[in-house]
Amino acid sequence: MTGKWQLKDHEAERALFSRRLMVAGVFVLLLFTALIIKLVNLQVSQYEYFSARSDGNRLHSQFVPPARGLIFDNRGQLLADNQPIFNLTVVREQVGDLEETLDYLDTLIDLSDDEREQFSNRLRRNRVPFTSVPLRYVLSEADKAKIAVNSFKLPGIAIEPQFVRQYPLADLAAHSVGYVSEINRAELDSFDDEERENYGGTNHIGKTGIERTYEDLLHGTVGYEIVEKNNRGQVMRRLDRTDPIAGKNISLYLDSQLQIVAEEALGDFRGAVVAIDPNTGGILAMVSKPGFDPNLFVTGISNKNYSVLVTDEINTPLFDRSTNPYPPGSTIKPFLGLGGLHHGLVDYDFTIEDPGYFRLPGVRYRWGDYTLRTAIGGGHGHTNLQKAIYQSCDTFFYDLGNRMGIDTMHSFMAQFGFGENFAVDINYARTGVLPSRDWKRATRGEPWYPGDTINSSIGQGFMWATPLQLATAVSIIANKGKVVQPRMLKAIDGVPYQPEIQDPVADVVVNDPDYWRYIEESMSMVVHRAFNDVFREYGTAYEAIAMADREMPYRMAGKSGSAQVVGISQEILQSGDIQVSDPNKDHALFIAYAPAENPNIKPQIAIAVFVENGEHGSSVAGPIAKRVTDAYLLDILQIDFAAMEFGNDELISLVNE
Amino acid sequence: MNNQDFIRQSDGLDSKSRYSKSIWQTIHTDPPLLLGISLLCGFGLFVLFSASGGDVPVVRRQALTMVVGLVVMFIVAQFNVHFFRQWAPTLYAAGIGLLGLVLVIGVEANGAKSWLDLPGLPSFQPSELMKFVVPMLMAWYLASRPLPPRFKHLFWSAVMILVPAALIIIQNDTGTAIMVIMSGIFVVLLAGIRWRIVIAGFIALLLASPAWFIFLAQEHQKNRILTFFNPYRDPTGAGYNIIQSQIAIGSGGLYGKGWGQGAQSHLDFIPESNTDFILAVLAEEFGLFGVLLLISMYLFVLARGCYIAYAANDMFSRLLAGSITLTFFFYVFVNMAMVSGLLPVIGLPLPLISRGGTSVVTLFIGFGLLMSIQTHGHGRAI
Repeated sequence: MTGKWQLKDHEAERALFSRRLMVAGVFVLLLFTALIIKLVNLQVSQYEYFSARSDGNRLHSQFVPPARGLIFDNRGQLLADNQPIFNLTVVREQVGDLEETLDYLDTLIDLSDDEREQFSNRLRRNRVPFTSVPLRYVLSEADKAKIAVNSFKLPGIAIEPQFVRQYPLADLAAHSVGYVSEINRAELDSFDDEERENYGGTNHIGKTGIERTYEDLLHGTVGYEIVEKNNRGQVMRRLDRTDPIAGKNISLYLDSQLQIVAEEALGDFRGAVVAIDPNTGGILAMVSKPGFDPNLFVTGISNKNYSVLVTDEINTPLFDRSTNPYPPGSTIKPFLGLGGLHHGLVDYDFTIEDPGYFRLPGVRYRWGDYTLRTAIGGGHGHTNLQKAIYQSCDTFFYDLGNRMGIDTMHSFMAQFGFGENFAVDINYARTGVLPSRDWKRATRGEPWYPGDTINSSIGQGFMWATPLQLATAVSIIANKGKVVQPRMLKAIDGVPYQPEIQDPVADVVVNDPDYWRYIEESMSMVVHRAFNDVFREYGTAYEAIAMADREMPYRMAGKSGSAQVVGISQEILQSGDIQVSDPNKDHALFIAYAPAENPNIKPQIAIAVFVENGEHGSSVAGPIAKRVTDAYLLDILQIDFAAMEFGNDELISLVNE
Repeated sequence: MNNQDFIRQSDGLDSKSRYSKSIWQTIHTDPPLLLGISLLCGFGLFVLFSASGGDVPVVRRQALTMVVGLVVMFIVAQFNVHFFRQWAPTLYAAGIGLLGLVLVIGVEANGAKSWLDLPGLPSFQPSELMKFVVPMLMAWYLASRPLPPRFKHLFWSAVMILVPAALIIIQNDTGTAIMVIMSGIFVVLLAGIRWRIVIAGFIALLLASPAWFIFLAQEHQKNRILTFFNPYRDPTGAGYNIIQSQIAIGSGGLYGKGWGQGAQSHLDFIPESNTDFILAVLAEEFGLFGVLLLISMYLFVLARGCYIAYAANDMFSRLLAGSITLTFFFYVFVNMAMVSGLLPVIGLPLPLISRGGTSVVTLFIGFGLLMSIQTHGHGRAI
């Protein structure tokens, strides 16, 4: 081993090689053993786990979304329909370079920046890999053709059919029917596990109106499909399927014909009309104008369109005027008058001498009579309750309210739904304010002052009510105290629906049922010529309604109201020096029901009309109410009043003269 | 020589085998090795049929490749192994020349510029030739020098290994370079290199590997290493292959899902299911028992290779046979360990099972050399 010239020792070398070969053999066996241990670990110890993973790889439970229930009006007219559209969808995992693909698509079908932004938002949401994400809803035929021709250059891009909501009435019933739109993050987070499961295949959810209220009914139950997919997410086989259960078709009391009339009747005004069938409580029409096209929201409203809707501060099309509160003004007078009779504060004979203003004892401030703003100076003079209603005498009600006190006023008015939401299934409606001592202390931290009562007596000050509440309240008068809570849903899958009402509202009971007739007559005189020997003046809305339509075949009981938007002193107003700008003009209101004073037929419609900045309740809001009741009674119900024997009952007010 | 007599005696214990051996020896074929190779090839075709989704042309082409390989093996076996010893330096020089030529006029395929397309010849990879030319040269060099090799000889051995390896790495074919290096290292190990040098080298390698990782490793290599330690760091990217292949193997269980029933492979979850990852298909469809069957076939071939090396009667033959056998094992083990997650992913096929062209022919040249050693060496004096 040491010498340079050492001879090769073949035996020793051979032995060395053999030893080395043996070591190598041992290594080979050791390494194979390690490999086998690893394989045993994978194939025996972890078999269950990998077996499940393998099934998880290939077997996919995919959701089959249920068809959303349709919404009909009370005569079977579609209010919300499902229409097939074709969407351009992207499976991210199958697209190589996304930007490049989008740029190429842009050359084909002109993608807007807006679309790209919305698409990247959708991509960012938590989603299952290998599912398709919509890039554009509603592809035109031409675009479809362009995509199809170039599909070989667009891996991962597909055209998928989908059913989406369509609202045939568009902006006519946008607020009451509402709309569906893409489910957002907050809604997903609010779901419990069961709901999240049920919405697994659903893109849309009801956001407003009926679509939201009856989301549970309309949505249905998700179905499942077990499919075998390959590594590119292509479905190879369908192994099992549980069909989805479609959402329920629902019918509303809403009458689309009446809805259209009400919308048209509002003309160019902003405002709301709510009409209720006092017999059922069913809401026949609920219009808020201006509306918006709910179809825009279904497939993702563009930022441009949306900003148009939200930046219009005057028209505020998204704002639902029918369920948001305004000062009710003089429309509360019949209720307050009824309260006065019931509590013995006034009787049929009680009169005041109206000087045109009211003063609290010891207070210098004079509460003026707003109804006399444009009339000649002085007051209404000799005035009883009936005249105070049909001529809308503020001073009479200042006095009545003052003597009634806020506590009695609150408890009596509350029975008609003021300050509360009587509606069965319009839970998003606001409750307005029926002020009380407690309310003022809780919200303002101030005690109740006698002057607050005076303002409340004519529906001003703290008093706020929604058009829906006014319609509800007037329907209770039409029913002579019987409360039928307003509701939208009439039938589910054709089966009449009787809601279970948790805390049913008690009927309004007054000491003498004749009080109802007295109030009805008073309200009738608002619209028609007063039958009164003592007071020969017309009702506030006579000129605009009964005088304008001398052929009017039915009588209507109504009450006008004007609600002050900003305080402008009467001297200034009367001086004619200033021009009141539109948004500062008074709101015009009118409540009514019809037919009134008819022994053959009960009232069929109770209505509240609110005209934003309409100025004159009687001449602006009144005719709108008239047009709607005409349409309902004469065109829709087609009641033949001429054939009815008009019982010429003696009027309560005359009997008692 | 004495040992020759011993071998003759031990081989000729019964007359029947002596008789049969003489026939096989005439045609220079080693029956046990041929049997092992044929079994592996048959099993390979069987698995490939399923892995390729019943693609008959693919299987037919692979079968043809194997037939070509067997013919090449048969031709190589006809040459006396001493012919290769005499020509080893020349072959090596020619191989280096061809590698140099590749750098100039080579054709690129799959990211490696390793193909040579000479007129009148089918295109081939000179780097493949080096897989057996390098051990041949090493065996030639070390066999004629005293063993264990001196440091000087080790130095020249290292040069002989690293020159072609460097040329192959320049071609961007690291996998083949590693195989060439390993085939040379196996010769050195079998030649009796002292353990302390082996251990020192191993430790040096261990110490150098972090430096390599930080300074020299390319991005995809780093990724492979990191993915090896945690496949789930990028489950849909770098870790996808190994995760899916483990799922396939694990879900095969003891008995497998049955031939043609592997969901992972038939739904294309296993990448490279015909080539590098074919073991996953096998393990999924035939279970642990299938893999054990495959391992025993390999063990049979390896045992026969070791026996041939052990029984060879000169040091050149022993070193060459030992290196060829261990290189074959290295192939088998690295692929199986990589697919089952014991080693990082290296693009090496599973010998005789994976679909593949030139590397199959290289394997058969190796088997031909083993047969040549087994059938020519005995009965002749050195």
